[in-house]
Amino acid sequence: MRVVTRPAPHIRDAFNLAAALRWQLIALAPCVAMALYNTGLQANLTLERLKLEVAPGWRGDVIQALGVGLDPLSFVAAVIHGALYFLPILITVGVTGAFWSWAFATARHRPPGQGLAVLVLLFALVLPPALPLWQAALGISFGLVVGREIFGGIGKNVLNPVLVGVAFLYVTYPAQMTIESSWVMVDAFSEPTYLSLGALQRPEALAWVATPWELSFLGLVPGAFGTTSTVACILGAGVLLYTRTASARVITGVLLGMVLTSILSNNLPGDAYFSLSFHWHLTLGSFAFGAVFLATDQTTSAMTDTGRWIYGFLIGALVVLFRVANGHHPDGVMFAILMGNIAAPLIDSLVVRANIRRRARRHVD
Amino acid sequence: MTGYASIFVQAAFIENLALSFFLGMCMFLAVSRRMETAFGLGLAVLVVQTITVPVNNLINGYLLAEGALAWAGLPDVDLSFLALLSFIGVIAAMVQIVEMVIERYLPAMHQRLGIYLPLVTVNCAILGGSLFMVDRKYDLPESVTYGLGTGFGWLLAILLLAGIREKLKYSDIPKGLQGTGIAFVVVGLISLGFLGFKGITVG
Repeated sequence: MRVVTRPAPHIRDAFNLAAALRWQLIALAPCVAMALYNTGLQANLTLERLKLEVAPGWRGDVIQALGVGLDPLSFVAAVIHGALYFLPILITVGVTGAFWSWAFATARHRPPGQGLAVLVLLFALVLPPALPLWQAALGISFGLVVGREIFGGIGKNVLNPVLVGVAFLYVTYPAQMTIESSWVMVDAFSEPTYLSLGALQRPEALAWVATPWELSFLGLVPGAFGTTSTVACILGAGVLLYTRTASARVITGVLLGMVLTSILSNNLPGDAYFSLSFHWHLTLGSFAFGAVFLATDQTTSAMTDTGRWIYGFLIGALVVLFRVANGHHPDGVMFAILMGNIAAPLIDSLVVRANIRRRARRHVD
Repeated sequence: MTGYASIFVQAAFIENLALSFFLGMCMFLAVSRRMETAFGLGLAVLVVQTITVPVNNLINGYLLAEGALAWAGLPDVDLSFLALLSFIGVIAAMVQIVEMVIERYLPAMHQRLGIYLPLVTVNCAILGGSLFMVDRKYDLPESVTYGLGTGFGWLLAILLLAGIREKLKYSDIPKGLQGTGIAFVVVGLISLGFLGFKGITVG
């Protein structure tokens, strides 16, 4: 019999890499649904506020051709308008990602890597809705090539390619990634809108629009495509934890770190962000999405059990630190998890060393 | 107190000498293959930095800066053109003294740091720390904080890099990028992560 050895991971189990990736896709379904519905809902709400009858640009033409209208209360209208924002970005990111995957597999004579669908979906979901398509393509190119392919593909990278790509975009095009303009759907409209203020997600802005916490928990607020809804992330977390695709230690660690650090910051003097309590930190920005889908990445999180607690705690604490003490990054989640990824090998190494020392001491005599 | 905390955080995280100014790169890349050696070198940098920055601060304040010799009756003398030369001399001398003291009183530590201490003499992060100290006009307690902060930041940076490089043996890196090539890329990515600290204010 001729045995062909394929590259690692050599998992011989019903729960192999393909299954893990499949469960991740299933877990992401609620977030994708929210990306379609909420993006359209927010766009329609903005247009209603601005008293505009027609959506700007080519999307308006498509909506008129389909005859679905722009009623914010209509589910179909919201989903179609949302799809007109989400699908172009998803397709751009997917095609670009597939190209690089193919290019590296061909040039290096390796079998094409798995996991592209999950990567593409995760990347598209954390982008702001009005990001120019070429920037989305650039972001996934940097993330996939520098974050994963040059390390040898899935399972061999050190940092999460989604985070590498998003951090690259944050640093290179801060205007499009954070401030108002990328969230406003109408050209040359400069008055602050619900969308633009919500995008910054500073508590002052939230107080101004008087967003109830429940709305933020459900995710019916402006934000990146798929990260606004904490409910959708909790559903996803349920799938990932039930199938043991994600580590409960990491998720619990992130929550613990966030809660304890925000309690600490609440007791320090400072601006409005210092007094933001932990249930707001949970629902704002992409915290829940990051904790469930990005921090738990099996390759780039810590590998040891104790290490996973420390790694999670570090991420949760850094999210609050970046949000509270840093005016540059209103969200901070991506950088916090990237820092967690960077520190994960060191944490693992220290945990392993401590364990070796502890066991060696047990056998001194 | 917040002033010192701010200097420490800025020196260690926001303006990390290795990851933000890319100082001390040659050693940062050469000695970060293994965790033990990286820790030894990082610790040596921390110790030497914490000593040389305040010492250079005193030398600059009482001998070199414009009007610094007023105590000797020479208020018009400006020896600041000698700063670079004296700082390197001080660093080399301090490294020798630190090495002798450690060898005499802490032999175990000398075993660990021995070979790295002379290397530290030519580490540009050390000289860079002293020059930044002059540039920013720190006083003595501030320069102790600054030396401690930059040294700690450098130690943390090299440990993070060493952790990642030890993990890289499981990767499948293209031939042309193996070794130092991928280390450069990893340093860039760590530096990207550290940009998250940019803009943090303390106190």
